[in-house]
Amino acid sequence: MRIGLQSELDALEAGFQEAGEIVFRSIRGAIDALRTQDVELCDEVIAFDDEVDERYLALERQVEMVLARQTPVATDLRLVLAILHSALHLERMGDQCVTIAKLTKLSSHLGTQQAVVEGLVDMGERCAEMARVSLSAFAARDVQQARALHSLDDLVDNANRQVFQEVLGYVNDAEALEWGMRQITVARCFERIGDNAVDIGEQTAFIVTGEFAEFTDASHEDGQRPG
Amino acid sequence: METQPHIDSTRIAEASRGALARADIERREKVFSVTDLAVYYSGKPALEEVDIDVYRNTVTAFIGPSGCGKSTFIRCFNRMNDLIPGAKVEGTVLYHGEDLYGPDVDPVEIRRRIGMVFQKPNPFPKSIYDNIAFGPRVLDMKGSLDERVEGALRRAALWDEVKDRLKDGALGLSGGQQQRLCIARALAVEPDVILMDEPASALDPISTTRIEDLMHELKREYTIVIVTHNMQQAARVADMTAFFSVVVDDDGSARRGILVEYDMTTKIFTTPSDKRTEDYVTGRFG
Amino acid sequence: MMIIEPHVERDYEPAPEQAARSGRVWRNRLFKGAMLFSMLVAFGTLAVLLVDIVLTGWPALTATLFTEAPSSLPEEAGARPAILATLYLGGTVLLLSVPIGALTAIYLEEYANRERWWNKLIEVNIQNLAAVPSIVYGILGLAFIVRGIGIGRVVFAGALILTLVVLPTVVVASREAIRGVPDSIRQGAFALGATKWQVVWRQVLPAAIPGMATGSILALSRAIGETAPLLMVGATVYVAFNPTLFGEYTALPIQIYNWVRQPDPEFQTVAAAGAIVLLVIVLAMNAVAIFVRNRYRQKW
Repeated sequence: MRIGLQSELDALEAGFQEAGEIVFRSIRGAIDALRTQDVELCDEVIAFDDEVDERYLALERQVEMVLARQTPVATDLRLVLAILHSALHLERMGDQCVTIAKLTKLSSHLGTQQAVVEGLVDMGERCAEMARVSLSAFAARDVQQARALHSLDDLVDNANRQVFQEVLGYVNDAEALEWGMRQITVARCFERIGDNAVDIGEQTAFIVTGEFAEFTDASHEDGQRPG
Repeated sequence: METQPHIDSTRIAEASRGALARADIERREKVFSVTDLAVYYSGKPALEEVDIDVYRNTVTAFIGPSGCGKSTFIRCFNRMNDLIPGAKVEGTVLYHGEDLYGPDVDPVEIRRRIGMVFQKPNPFPKSIYDNIAFGPRVLDMKGSLDERVEGALRRAALWDEVKDRLKDGALGLSGGQQQRLCIARALAVEPDVILMDEPASALDPISTTRIEDLMHELKREYTIVIVTHNMQQAARVADMTAFFSVVVDDDGSARRGILVEYDMTTKIFTTPSDKRTEDYVTGRFG
Repeated sequence: MMIIEPHVERDYEPAPEQAARSGRVWRNRLFKGAMLFSMLVAFGTLAVLLVDIVLTGWPALTATLFTEAPSSLPEEAGARPAILATLYLGGTVLLLSVPIGALTAIYLEEYANRERWWNKLIEVNIQNLAAVPSIVYGILGLAFIVRGIGIGRVVFAGALILTLVVLPTVVVASREAIRGVPDSIRQGAFALGATKWQVVWRQVLPAAIPGMATGSILALSRAIGETAPLLMVGATVYVAFNPTLFGEYTALPIQIYNWVRQPDPEFQTVAAAGAIVLLVIVLAMNAVAIFVRNRYRQKW
């Protein structure tokens, strides 16, 4: 029943997952560029963002078409709205990757500190993992998996703080300090990627439960949410 | 942890084929090409200045407020207006490049190739079998009648429901089934185009959805033109949509229909070019 | 969310007993009473007539009535020739009036262009023809059929006259039956590529047949009871031999009339018996018509 609606929704979701794959590649590229300090790879990641943006716009247009033509309701409507929001989160992730690549390129002439680089790569891996989990939870409509992202995010936040602490120690070495401060921003970018993955998880919960609730709220302690 | 994919990949391939782009459509053969058409009933204009092309294997919808002439227009395609005394059609209607109103054209032959389904299901007071067989019989079509009947009922997604009771009266079917029977009846004479004048307006929502799904299937083999007063239906099923509106003479006496806008359905329902179209589809007028 | 309570002010609350005594209810009962009274008068009169006939004619309702020809002795009088002639007349009228009436109706309903003046003329006059007194047909028949064509005073001539008498009714009934076929059926058939004739022959006519049959049977039952035109065209009063299609004859209503005129009171009984037979024939035909109508009526 409603062949037209179902096929358009399937196409929309397939498009979303494909966009997710593309962003995932972008994240991997950024991590590799950081680890190997490869300037050419950085350029590739930056150029690749065009593709991410294109996908995002295509998804937006597709959402507009589905809403105009099929007037979905109930779960179908929540799915379309969730895809609309999540697409934006994916696009943001893409932008973060670009920033990471730009910073890596910018500070490539400076010496690197192994501890921080390892810490950042570790963060990156975790973020990539979170991105992957958020997309698979979305596909499976698995709220449990989506909620698990929250604890993964905590780890990323911890790693972020560790990098910060480490860089505080470079106060006596001007070059290392400069490099270190750039890396704080990189860490911040990874942390943002993680937040966006959690947001996608929240959208998954929205589709299933019909309620939108933030898993964590920056203005409240863990578990202390209004309503 | 294994994840269950929520999407059926075969459906995705389908969908990407289904989402037609304007260029794809305009590359297709023009089944109907209408130029400067006007229709008069006993001298009074009902419809004027219509220019439209209907493309092969598409669903084209005519929408608009009541009295805008969309039913009158669709009847021009199979010359059913000939049956109305006092009706006159001016302008050109080309069917596969040939003038539909040419002097050598036999309306009876036209109606075999351009079938019609009406607003209120109108099965004949005969058995289901005889309803479907009527067309092939009067047209003296060769070949196995049983096969034709089964084929038509299958293509109309009705076979499974009636295969055991073909000799039963058609009037005993439900409204939705009767309408699918009428579709099967039209399919039995092997048309090239199917015209549908508000095919689902007399049906309940579930039957309506079935008819709409049927249109999705049928457009692979046939060209479909539908008139509908339900614009959401047009949004759901049609590839191209034509919006007709009513023009009132200055003294308020004569009302006639005109074609306002004809474009891809996605365009009509997202960024219509004409304000009148926008007002109509958003429900603010009409 | 505010919920708005309805606020109704009533300044008059009639008590139930008061309403009963008001004028409206009495008027209602009065009207009902008047209807019942009218019905009693109509059916009562009919019932009285029927009972009277049956009581009068019962003794004479024997096999003799059916097997013997009329005679001057009431005990031996029978209506065999008359009954046979009536049946022949009925059959012939049926065979003539139904096809002619049906085809006329088809032409008028399906083919005639209603804008043309001659069709409008026919339209108006069909109804008028049904109202013409049957004796006028008798005079016409005498002039044109019996004498004009020269067939003579035979059963066939009588059948022709009766056909003319009932033809308007058959045409009107057939037209109603054809009109009863919804236009959507015709549209559906045309849309499949059927020609005009195919639509009429294969869809309209089959669907209209029950209505046509009913109309024809009712017209026929009227024809059987006609006396005046038959008298005009020569159904002689005393016939003792069995009729043939092109021979002289008499019909049952005339036979009854003849017996009533006899001075011998015994003949009144026989006449009443004849009337019962006629009644039975007519009522039986009407019953068949009603049966056909109910059984085959199309529920669109």
